[in-house]
Amino acid sequence: MKTVSCIFIVDDDPITVFGIKKMLKSVANCDDIQIFQNGQEAYEAVKLRHEQGRPIPEVIFLDINMPIMDGWDFLEEIIALDINEHIVINMITSSIDPLDYEKWNGFKDRCPYTLNFKNKPIFKIDSADLGCINVAS
Amino acid sequence: MKAAESIDQFYLLKQLPKATALLCKEGRLLDASCSWLELFNLPPQNGDLKTKVYNLFPENSELNKKLKENKPFTIQHKRAAANGTRYLKSYFSPWFDKEENVVGTIVQTDDITMEVEKDKKIKWLENVLETKVEVSKTGWWEFDVETETLTWCNETKRIHQVPENYTPTTSEAINFYKTGYSQNKVGMLFHRVKENQESYDTKLMLVTFQGQERWVHVTGKPIVKNGKVTKVFGTIKDIHEQEMAETRVKEHQQLLSTLIDSLPLNVYVKDLESRKMLVNKGECNYFGKTVGELIGKNDFDLYDEEIAKVSRQEDIEVMKHLTPIIGKETTSTLNGKTTYFLTSKIPHFDLEGKVCGLIGMSLDITSMKKKEEELHNLIDITSMQNQKLVSFAHIVSHNLRSHSANFSMLLGFLNSENDPKERQRIIDMLSQASDNLLETLGNLNQVVDINSNTSATKKKLNLKKNIVKVLQNFSAVLEKNDSKIINNVSEDIVVSCVPAYLDSIILNLVSNAVKYKSKNRSPLIIIDAIKSSEGILLSISDNGMGIDLNKYGDKIFGMYKTFHNRKDAKGFGLYLVRNQIEAMGGSITVQSEVDKGTTFNVYFNEDS
Repeated sequence: MKTVSCIFIVDDDPITVFGIKKMLKSVANCDDIQIFQNGQEAYEAVKLRHEQGRPIPEVIFLDINMPIMDGWDFLEEIIALDINEHIVINMITSSIDPLDYEKWNGFKDRCPYTLNFKNKPIFKIDSADLGCINVAS
Repeated sequence: MKAAESIDQFYLLKQLPKATALLCKEGRLLDASCSWLELFNLPPQNGDLKTKVYNLFPENSELNKKLKENKPFTIQHKRAAANGTRYLKSYFSPWFDKEENVVGTIVQTDDITMEVEKDKKIKWLENVLETKVEVSKTGWWEFDVETETLTWCNETKRIHQVPENYTPTTSEAINFYKTGYSQNKVGMLFHRVKENQESYDTKLMLVTFQGQERWVHVTGKPIVKNGKVTKVFGTIKDIHEQEMAETRVKEHQQLLSTLIDSLPLNVYVKDLESRKMLVNKGECNYFGKTVGELIGKNDFDLYDEEIAKVSRQEDIEVMKHLTPIIGKETTSTLNGKTTYFLTSKIPHFDLEGKVCGLIGMSLDITSMKKKEEELHNLIDITSMQNQKLVSFAHIVSHNLRSHSANFSMLLGFLNSENDPKERQRIIDMLSQASDNLLETLGNLNQVVDINSNTSATKKKLNLKKNIVKVLQNFSAVLEKNDSKIINNVSEDIVVSCVPAYLDSIILNLVSNAVKYKSKNRSPLIIIDAIKSSEGILLSISDNGMGIDLNKYGDKIFGMYKTFHNRKDAKGFGLYLVRNQIEAMGGSITVQSEVDKGTTFNVYFNEDS
């Protein structure tokens, strides 16, 4: 069981959110789990925390297809915020469009954070998804 | 007495009108008439017997011997005189005295120069004629009306292939012509020349003695004396080879002109000044002019200056550098109609190998071009549809996968969950997921319907009436939101549209305008329609919250794309509208400004 200070779940599908929350219970110990229905809301929350010097989420579960601001746009904005703290971002999608995978590859190279790509369905959250390996280093 | 007698005798001799001389037995000149002396250029004789007659006839060495035979004879001889050579003929006969004793010779001499020269001329003329006959291979024939005899010259006989001793009769001669036209014609012509003095000159078919059919050129001409035809003279010439060659040339020409005329090409021959010297039917049809109207014309007479300049430049290149243009794509505009050609221009040489113009051939490929264009359009449409299909496949897979993934996940939870409360929660979620899946399937079905049913029957629909109808059904929502609608669409605009699609398009756009209204203003929706040459444009404008198109521009018509935080936004309406419009061959665009409003422009395609 890993203790994580803050986790963001950004997804407009309540079932997926329910699933992630449920799976987190068994692998992570976290008192600050925030849910956002789109990228815009999540971005604004991160930005506010960053400005106020409050803890930045250690782990973000990020859906790609969302209204208003999708996962990719959220990534762009987050990278632009230039946050020094390490973040593990898990992109979660049901898309099997190879274009999405290529896009992820492109982002991975220029993203200062750990960027995982996870296809739905998810049955279990690995410790790697919570940044265990990276945190150890 | 004797002397007196003799003087009388010689005096008489002198006066004889015919040149006469007397020779003694020794062949010396006793005396002669003045005319004889003149002929031989001798002075008057004084009886000294000094003039030897043998000297006067130097060519006749045997004269002496002949004189001694005492028999009459004749010799022909020549003398050089001041007015040229004279031809003479002298008659020698013995001179008897009363006792029938030979005392000498009497010589009478005629000047036959004229006759000799006439003979010579006749011989020359005969020669000329013979040569002429030989060279020209023209035979002659002559018919004597009185004796009814027909005479053929040797060449005429050769033409008939009869032996040289053959003597024809008139009916035989006519029978040599081929039965039918030739024989009838020659019979008639021969009759007319005799009776009506009509000359003739014609080509007929002869069947020779050896049975060969040969073309001959025959003429006939009456020889008239005292108003009566006495003879008929004519010529005959074997023209078989020329005639056959001419026929072959004509056949070739016929073949060539048929070929050129029947080619599905526009063919023309131009001279060095680019004037048309020959045109075929195709070329005439293209210009809608006759051959006579086109010959001698250049491109400046036929086309606009711009086109003519280009064409003339091509002509000059071909004729100057002798490089043919083969299968070049060109366009010509005639009377406002553009035709695409595959044009070839080849230099044209005269028999000496010098360029004398060019031969042009143009194939009308307008219909092929049109087909090519249609094909390109079709390819564009196909690739667009293909692209749509691919993106649709991704949407489908993504949307269906997201639901099935949820099922898998929830079922996984259910398996390991023992808490009845939690199980119930999971089961609720499962049924929710199932509802979502059904809805998604419903949506996808709608889209598939639109795209697979492109031939859904279009009808002519009055735009205004349909808008009013949709607005009435939607009036409750409009009233609730305190919306105002200005419908500027004129009564007479008719669009060709699938009825259900038109309703869906109007409803979606109007309900969007209400749904995304400004927080500060009551909705104001303005509906306009403009008819133009490109079709009908329907525009629906609102004063709502607007959308940042720089940010979302390309996504606004995407499936499940929503841009405002509204619970009832599903991101399906505009996607559906776009599919419906495009399925009918139209298009939709959007203009928007945040917090000002949005305008959707719908273009209806009236063609298909």
